[in-house]
Amino acid sequence: MTALVHVQGLSKRFAERVVLEDAELLLQPGARYVLTGDNGAGKTTLLKILAGLEPADAGRFAYAGRAFRLADYPAALRRDVVYVHQHPYLFHTTVKGNIGYGLVSRNVPHGEKERRIRLAMAWANLDHLRDVPPNRLSGGEKQRVALARAKVLEPHVLLLDEPTANLDADSRQQIVHLLGELSPAETCVLVACHDQEIIGLAGTVRLHLRDGRLSLLNGSPPASDAAVF
Amino acid sequence: MDPLAATGDAFRLLFSGDHDLWRIIWISLRVALISLVLATPLAVALGFGLATFNFPGRRAAVVTLQSLLSFPTVMVGLILYMLLTRRGPLGSLHLLFTQEAMIIGQALLCFPVLAAYTLAAVQGADPRLRETAIGLGAGPWRTALTTLLEVRFTVLAGVLNGFGRAISEVGSAMMVGGNIEGVTRNMTTAIALETSKGEFAQGIALGFVLLVLALGINMALALIQGQGGMK
Amino acid sequence: MAKLLRRTLGFLVLAATITPAVLLAATDIKMATTTSTENSGLLKVLLPQFEAEYGAKVQVISVGSGKAMKLGENGDVDVLLVHARPEEDKFVAQGHGVNRRDVMYNDFILVGPKEDPAQVRGMTDVVAALKKIHAAQAPFISRGDDSGTDKMEKSYWQTAGVKPQGAWYVSAGQGMGEVLTMAASKQGYTLTDRATHGAYKDKTGLDILVQGDPRMFNPYGVIAVNPKKYPDINYRGAMAFVDWITSPEGQKAIADFKLNGEQLFFPSAAKR
Repeated sequence: MTALVHVQGLSKRFAERVVLEDAELLLQPGARYVLTGDNGAGKTTLLKILAGLEPADAGRFAYAGRAFRLADYPAALRRDVVYVHQHPYLFHTTVKGNIGYGLVSRNVPHGEKERRIRLAMAWANLDHLRDVPPNRLSGGEKQRVALARAKVLEPHVLLLDEPTANLDADSRQQIVHLLGELSPAETCVLVACHDQEIIGLAGTVRLHLRDGRLSLLNGSPPASDAAVF
Repeated sequence: MDPLAATGDAFRLLFSGDHDLWRIIWISLRVALISLVLATPLAVALGFGLATFNFPGRRAAVVTLQSLLSFPTVMVGLILYMLLTRRGPLGSLHLLFTQEAMIIGQALLCFPVLAAYTLAAVQGADPRLRETAIGLGAGPWRTALTTLLEVRFTVLAGVLNGFGRAISEVGSAMMVGGNIEGVTRNMTTAIALETSKGEFAQGIALGFVLLVLALGINMALALIQGQGGMK
Repeated sequence: MAKLLRRTLGFLVLAATITPAVLLAATDIKMATTTSTENSGLLKVLLPQFEAEYGAKVQVISVGSGKAMKLGENGDVDVLLVHARPEEDKFVAQGHGVNRRDVMYNDFILVGPKEDPAQVRGMTDVVAALKKIHAAQAPFISRGDDSGTDKMEKSYWQTAGVKPQGAWYVSAGQGMGEVLTMAASKQGYTLTDRATHGAYKDKTGLDILVQGDPRMFNPYGVIAVNPKKYPDINYRGAMAFVDWITSPEGQKAIADFKLNGEQLFFPSAAKR
């Protein structure tokens, strides 16, 4: 089975601090990964690099079996990979407007767009908040909007950064529930967090980032496609 | 001159629909609005570019822009006059002493205001904004548009401020417009002329209109800042 | 079909933009004149009569005489109406203007406060009067802007052999109206043309103290800007104005202009 994302030799440092050193990462389609690591260890950096939002000092990248250069982040990857901030930024429009944002860039026809937005809103339990502007949403509601905004694009790789940190218990429950329903066959989800409930979801593979390197804490590593590079 | 009598005459002039008076007001509005429309697209683009891209000389460009904010209006008028005079490099365009020349002058005056406000707005934008837009698949043009829309309140404040600068300036309008009755006589040049003639009534009337305009602009600004998202 | 439609539309747009310009037989004339001429109110009465015949408007830019001539030199206006004879002659001699004609004259007068501290009331010798003002160090406001009026005033001081200096002598650098207003508030003297004084009399309350000196004679000239220098200047319009203002009709209009029943300008064009 071809790995969805394969990264080798990933290195990144900020001035004196080494965040990633010769790290290797394999993400399979349909799998759910949790990435743990100390605060400031570099989880966000790793996620952002994967999303093409941060440059890396070194690394070999392949997606769906095809190698690519991080500096020339392919447009196809922009479509397939979505990153959600720990504190998501919502645009100055309604919840519906936010959710539909990415669909506009993809030239999705109007009818199809409306359908997908409706489905995403129902999924995230946001129907009653459709026309509400972001400054009147709670933290938990904002997180659900961000998730719906990402899900509606049907990404193949979903990168979530601490989705439940700073949320009250109820909101956390809702998010965890949504995450449990989130992995269709081709999608893989990588969640950086410490939330025990997320970690405890069935089928979760645990990755740990420490001293710049990634290690598997459970499950067996699949055969790596070294031939790709 | 009796100030009270003059003020009374002023209001009578205003509300009787005095043709000369309202034509002067119309010329002010027309010239300022058109100059704003002309200056805004380029100025906003420049402000955005300066905030977003790094290039050699960027620092110098920003400093120049900010010093242009307080460039005296008479200087703009003088430089423009020297360009537009028939002997000057652009003399063959026959633009001197026309409304078009006034429009150019005022566009030059509000350009730095618009650009500086846009620069500040984009610089002050949430860094996650750009990442979110790009991460959701927006291309460079859409990201730029989204950014500007997100900071639109500050940009709008710049537009209102620029309009204020344009409609209240007299240095440039006088020099390149010539204060020709019915053609290039706007509120500020008329005030300058009428008061010089001792005709304070018309001067007061026009000053009153300018005051109302200034108040209106500032109220609009306050409303915008209020909505602007002090969450 | 679509191509025909597009062609027709294009033609219509073109026609709409060109037609107005082409149909305009007479184009607007830009005239530079002095602030005192404009402030007298003469042009407000005179120009509509001319414009009715000519068929286009005269756009008046009123500045000091010096600046008016500069505008003519730079080709920024089509015709000048000024009162500074030596400069006018130089203007023509240097090739900036053509067809200079006499138009009208008014005279200068010395006005001042009712109290008349320098005691010049009734004098007919302006130079002697200025000497007295200088001796009394009474407040005197000068145009100070190189205008025709200003040049006249400076010539009188020169004839008097006196250099006016000191706190009593104010060089305003402004138009006649402002200077009169200033003289009124400072209760001082000033040299002014009769017309502007007449227009401002009610506001200033100044009295005419010295008049009738032949040296206070203020002739006006009209000059068209040289078309050889600026081929695209509105020479036709300029000459139309020059001809009209020196015609019996224009001259009568000048004579008929009265302020408070008083005639301010006296026609002086050569009879043709």
